[in-house]
Amino acid sequence: MLDASKTKSLLVVIRHSPYGSSLARASLDVALSAAAFGQPVDLLFSGDGVLQLLQGQQTDAAGVKNIERLLASLPLYDIEQVYVDAEAAARYKLELASAPLPALALDRAAIGELLQRHDHVLGF
Amino acid sequence: MTLHTLNCSPGSSAFADCLRFIAPGDALLLMGDGVYCAMEDTGSGRELQACGAALYVLGNDAAAAGVLARIGDITVIDMDGFVSLSEQFPRQLAWY
Repeated sequence: MLDASKTKSLLVVIRHSPYGSSLARASLDVALSAAAFGQPVDLLFSGDGVLQLLQGQQTDAAGVKNIERLLASLPLYDIEQVYVDAEAAARYKLELASAPLPALALDRAAIGELLQRHDHVLGF
Repeated sequence: MTLHTLNCSPGSSAFADCLRFIAPGDALLLMGDGVYCAMEDTGSGRELQACGAALYVLGNDAAAAGVLARIGDITVIDMDGFVSLSEQFPRQLAWY
């Protein structure tokens, strides 16, 4: 069994667009790995990272892994909800209601609190 | 308390987002292209001075970029200083 005293909460901060680099995949791989080992993981999308939450990503022709579908599978790994920088979401007029999984918009102060309550922070 | 490391030039969205994420008690270390943000009498230099974080710059990177003599009121550190900072702060967030 997992020793609860050894769990460390992880916040993954995601700032890059889904297909411009391999960073989107890498950040989600990290989140899934941590979750698979029973570590509590939260995801915060900011900057261009919010573009990963766009509805209707059609990747078949491009031959890349579909980030939207990957995000939609996160609840299977106990990542039920993600956080989104409200300012970045507004910049791209993102409708969080149609995001691939439940997404909660946070203002600047709430983002600060989110950072403070995690043991580790990883930026992608 | 978070140590932010910024490796992006002043025109990048990472610079703007990093400043927004900075909270009281945080520190900001400029490295790589981030050293250009520290140039005094520039918009980014003034934004840095007003952001509230303790400011540091990697001396080797600033020297390589040719801005060492042009950075404002920012503490210049070396790799050992970087290690000390990472020991001091429980979390680090890399901006690149």
